[in-house]
Amino acid sequence: MSDLRTEEYYLNMGPHHPSTHGVCRMVLKMDGEKVKEIEPHIGYLHRSIEKICENRTYAQCIPILDRFEYVTAMSCNYVFALAAERLASIEVPERAEHIRVIMLELNRIASHLLFYGVTAMDIGALTPFLYGLRERESILDLFEMTCGQRLTYNYIRVGGVSRDLPNGFIPKCHEALNTIEKKLADYEGLLNENPIWLVRTVGIGVLPAKVALDYGVSGPCLRASGVQYDLRRNDPYSIYDRFEFDIPVRHNGDCYDRYLLRLDEIRQSIHIVRQALDALPEGDFKAKVSPNFKPPAGEVYARIENSRGELGVHVISDGTKKPLRVKTRGASYNHIAVLPAFATDVLLADLVAIFATMDVIMPEVDR
Amino acid sequence: MDKDQLSAYLTDKSEGKLTLLEVGRHDPIFKVEASQLIEVCTWLRDDEQLKFDFLCNLSGVDTGEQFEVVYQLASTSKSLRVDIKVILPYDGAEIESVQKVWAAANWHEREMWELYGINVKNHGKLEFLLLPEDWDEGFPMRKDWDAPDFIRMPEF
Repeated sequence: MSDLRTEEYYLNMGPHHPSTHGVCRMVLKMDGEKVKEIEPHIGYLHRSIEKICENRTYAQCIPILDRFEYVTAMSCNYVFALAAERLASIEVPERAEHIRVIMLELNRIASHLLFYGVTAMDIGALTPFLYGLRERESILDLFEMTCGQRLTYNYIRVGGVSRDLPNGFIPKCHEALNTIEKKLADYEGLLNENPIWLVRTVGIGVLPAKVALDYGVSGPCLRASGVQYDLRRNDPYSIYDRFEFDIPVRHNGDCYDRYLLRLDEIRQSIHIVRQALDALPEGDFKAKVSPNFKPPAGEVYARIENSRGELGVHVISDGTKKPLRVKTRGASYNHIAVLPAFATDVLLADLVAIFATMDVIMPEVDR
Repeated sequence: MDKDQLSAYLTDKSEGKLTLLEVGRHDPIFKVEASQLIEVCTWLRDDEQLKFDFLCNLSGVDTGEQFEVVYQLASTSKSLRVDIKVILPYDGAEIESVQKVWAAANWHEREMWELYGINVKNHGKLEFLLLPEDWDEGFPMRKDWDAPDFIRMPEF
């Protein structure tokens, strides 16, 4: 067979490929069914969020940044509020900090549940999608109850949160957490030892730790490659230093580990939310901040651990009520940029699995 | 190493190549000359006490008077954070690519090149990333750039 001549050809994957979770185009150099080179093309969803933010007050930037990464919009709200608070040295009330941690972790669980569903669907199993979305619904209900929105919340504001937790939130939240914790066994039962799933994920798309660090890969993808780095521990923000939780790490760096790691993280997040609910103090939910406040001149880069990895925002203030510069950094940006460095010499079908387990979301890349 | 110790260490060991700026509100920000950028970045990455192996972010900035390029660095093994800032003049702004030090810089530099018009030397692939391929209307993130259909927020 080896003397048979093959001809290399180019294949256009996307921009509207169902597995690209948005609009991403990849030009693939193929040899038969093997991917030889990848060249990602991004920018289809570019909405110039950074330019828009330069023409708005700090309070007005928050609903714009909701659209930056809408699957975990709470994190986007929070990271900008954190940057503004650091610029203006605003003290946030204890109750607000607890509510923020509860919301951030619930949002992380919701995002990981969505990951569980869509990844399985991309690889060809439809049932997990229905399971994942069913439990995600209970978390979205909690958000709707709290701030009226299910996707773009505009809930976490500079100095606190926009309103207090509604009546009946705490028992409903406990109930949702209990259900999710119980259903996790079902999720694992569907996929963890499923022979088709194992063939499609184990040993596929191995991302070495050195490559991951070089390309700025963060979050679960980095930890699945054996690097224990979580900003909640390594660069603490909010009140995460008060809670007990583990940072799950896995060492193979393949699709299977990236999938398992996110299920581990759901358990840890449930644990954090329960602690925060138990410790929730009485008091104010928002510090007094004028909607037109002017932070003193200075600059800050705030970064937090969201469900995909490091979410950062670089804000420069020149002492006026509008920021001079807002630069956003999403984890998916680096997760697409790293693909040409490790996802070559794989089958086309495996590229879909790799792309899915990197958990890329396009609005975060294009901004 | 806490933030003050880090600032002291960097000022001390960099032999005058890094100057602490007063603008940092949470992490220290150091200024470096464009000509010494690669040397300093390589040292920051390889020094045993620092090990800044992670480029979080790279921002181009137009202050209205000059360009700034800010490199946000992190050390995953030592849990450190620092910003490195290069100040460039408006005319003929040009900077060396740091891809050899951190591969993550690739896309950030392309983005800075297309949005601000800051030229990146030895980049290897300066093509439009976010903008359309046939874009010819200037550098949209510059302060003096205005879109024809852009409505400015009224002052209140």
